Parts: sequence; structure tokens; C-alpha cells
Amino acid sequence: MANSVSLEAGALRGVAAGTARLMFYSLLAIVLMTLDFRGAYVQRIQAAAGGLVEPVLLLIDWPVVGLRSLSSLLESQADMSRQQAELERELIELRAGLSVVDDLALENARLRDLLATTERLEYSMMTAELAAVDLDPFAHRIIVKRGRNDGVEVGMPVIDARGVVGQIEQVYQYSARVILLSDPDHALPVQILPEGERTIAYGSGALDRLRLTDLPMNTTLVSDQLVVTSGLGGQFPPGLTVGRLAQITRLPGQAFATAEIRTTAAMTRNRHVLILIEAEAALVDDALSGMADQLSIEPSPSAEDQADGSETAVDSSEAALDEPSADQEPTP
Amino acid sequence: MSATREGYRGLIASLVLAYLLTLMPLPVWLDPARPYWVALVLIYWHLEADRLRHLGHAFALGILLDILTGSLLGRNALGLVIINFLLARFRSRIRFFPAWQQALVIGALLFNDRIVQLWIIGLLDRGWPSWSWWLPPLIGIMLWPWLFLALDAMRSRQRKPT
Repeated sequence: MANSVSLEAGALRGVAAGTARLMFYSLLAIVLMTLDFRGAYVQRIQAAAGGLVEPVLLLIDWPVVGLRSLSSLLESQADMSRQQAELERELIELRAGLSVVDDLALENARLRDLLATTERLEYSMMTAELAAVDLDPFAHRIIVKRGRNDGVEVGMPVIDARGVVGQIEQVYQYSARVILLSDPDHALPVQILPEGERTIAYGSGALDRLRLTDLPMNTTLVSDQLVVTSGLGGQFPPGLTVGRLAQITRLPGQAFATAEIRTTAAMTRNRHVLILIEAEAALVDDALSGMADQLSIEPSPSAEDQADGSETAVDSSEAALDEPSADQEPTP
Repeated sequence: MSATREGYRGLIASLVLAYLLTLMPLPVWLDPARPYWVALVLIYWHLEADRLRHLGHAFALGILLDILTGSLLGRNALGLVIINFLLARFRSRIRFFPAWQQALVIGALLFNDRIVQLWIIGLLDRGWPSWSWWLPPLIGIMLWPWLFLALDAMRSRQRKPT
């Protein structure tokens, strides 16, 4: 009798212990998920795990690349020569277009010089091949085969031939992880072209769509307008294509109109992407610097020291003389 | 002594293969049908060999999977812990089912896991998955007998090397 009772109690205790362990591990997992979702608490863990992740990713990538090169070996010569002819034709067309663009760039530089606005910063591009790895489709991440060794840094914009893809989120030794625009955690300052209306595009969780959630109700935007990066925030250079407006909804009773953007970049379907290096966006764009001229705010604090140097510095110091209060604003 | 070490070799080899298959690139149309390899291999070792039976094992494997696939840290860990817990409760019964019935039970486990994951994704506001979300458990059911035979063959060969 006593024996059976103790047996039963033991079995009960076993079940209870199992449940307690389940509770413990579930809680641990939920806490981890919350920390991961809320902020950068577990970034350090993930950075440390980079050393573990990278060899596995490259290990998977390697045979796929081998297969690809094998299939390209087996491709018939006729196919190859046809492809080459096609590419050559394309190259000639693009070159012709580029000469026009070069001329425009020169003209633009001259005009900017006349207006005494800040120079657009130059940036160079680095092609990066996508690693042949499938990540969690809900993670909105891709892996590119360029890493710390190639000078990749966190925050660099990533684009493809048709538009913005995302930005570098984590850098490993020979590879890097890119967060896509479509991730719900990603926000991108954009400008909608004909009007130049500025707003912020949030990832929607669907690979080919972004959300605009805070447009004014009386906005004049219509669908199919071009959306480009605005360059505000300094992360992305201005003027990169993002996508086209898809539809604008004005729900009665809501404070803001919302819209959707169809992204033009191929996101995960690319084989190659471009990483922009030193793509520091010009902090002050035309409109802002125009306003700055009117308000006679000096472009740089050291302008007075070199007043006898350049013309713009003389201009601004004269302007500062007209309104000395502008100088003293920072120190009340 | 050497038998256990060889056993470990099989265990680790099958797990590494499961992770590689999870990350292996598939054509876009085939990608949604990718089975939950790590869960299938974990279920096999727990059910047939009574190894990896602790919840801690499942948690560690899940965290590793989360780190490798870049998903939210802890999502797969929670799923695998729940699978392992349910399996531990019903293991003595499931073991003696015929293969097709076993496959159905494992399908039920995998469906349950999908529901848990759906709940997490819903909380995160990551967009509603399409109907193909429910494909991996079905593939898992169809795959189970073959996986079972393959891993069994590997284990018996390791037990008595010729």
C-alpha cells in the first residue's frame, strides 16, 4: 500500500519535474526571443556566433558554386558566343548612354559650383556574390560573399541593378549578412519624386512591398510615382531607386493616409549585388542649404577663421555680421 | 567503448547533414516544401535510440538552428523543446506503432510545431504565411519511413562493422 503510494508519488513527481523543465526552457526561449526582438541585447551573442556560422555557410556554398562552374563548362559554344554577342551589344548601348550621363554630371558639378552648395560625396561600388544559402524566409536576410577582408562595414548600403536591396547588418571575415528593406524592423528615408515629398518607408514583411504609414491625408500622391532614397539620415546616398507607389488608402477616421511601395530590386533572386563604399550621403541637400543661406547660418563653424580664404567664407561672415544673433544662438 | 564513440559519430553526422540540408539552396518553387530536417533527425534519435532525450538537447539544437538560419533567436528552440517534451511523454507508446501510424503521429507533432511557430510569427507581425506553410509536415510524414530506414541501416552497420 505504502509502496504503491510512494510509486505513484514518484511518477507524479517525474511528470511534474518534466513539466517544470518544459516551463523553464520555454521561458528561456521566450525571453531570448523578446530580447532579440526588442533590441540589440543579443547582438553580441550573434556576433560571437559569427565565427561558427561562417564556415558552415561557406561549406554549403562551395559545392553549389562547383556545380555551377561545371554546368558552365558543359554549356555549348554556340550558346556562349551568342551570350557574348548579346553582352557586347548591351555594353555598347550602355557606353553610349554613359557619355551623355558624364556630360550631365559635369554640367551638374558646374551648376553646383555656381550655387555654392555642398559637393555630393563620391562613392565606389563593390560587386558581391550572394552565398548559395537559404535562410529562414521570415528573417529577411541574405548572405554575401564579401567580408571584413574586403573592407565591408556595418551599415553600408546594398543595391542591385534595379534598386536598393538593403544594408549590411553584420560583417564576418569573408562574408556579411544583409538586412533587406522588406524586414519589418527596417526603416528607410525616402522621397517621392515629382513632388519631392519626404517620408519614411517601413518593411512590410512581404519581400516585394514596403509600407508608408504616415502620409498626410491631403497628400497629392498618386500610384505609380517613383520612390527614391532621400539621403536624410546619412545612411543611404540620395537618389537611389527604391520602387513605385502601388496604392494609397485613406481610411476615414485615421490620422494618416497609408500607401504601399512595390520595390524594384530583385531582393533574394539576385546572383550579384553591389555594396556602396564611402556612401556618406550629403548631410545638407539643396533645399536645406538654400534655407541655410537665407537664415545666414554658417555652413561650418571654422568659416570665420579662414575668412580671407575662399569666397563663400567671406560671404557667410558678411552675412553673419548682418545678423550677429545667429552666431550667439548656441550659447544663451 | 568504441561502439559508443561510433554511435556518437553517427549521431553527429546525421545532425550535421540535417543542418546542411536545412541551409542548402533549393529552387524557389521547391523552397516552401523544405522539411523540418533537424526535428525529424531529433525525433528519430529520441524515439529509436533514446538519445537526445533531454529538453536541453532540443534547446541547444534549436538555438544552433536559429543562429544558422538567422531567424529570431529562440524560435526553433521553443519548437524543438515542445516536440521533445511531447515525445518523452508518449515515446513508450509511439515506439511500437507500425511505421505508417508512427509517421502520422510524427506528422501531428510537426503540425503542432507549425502552430507554435505561426503564433510566434503572428506576434511579430511578419505577415501571414501562405498555404504552403503547412506543406513541411506533410512532406515530413512522407519522408519519415525512409528516414527511419536509412538511419536504422546506418546504426546497424555501425554496431557490427564488417
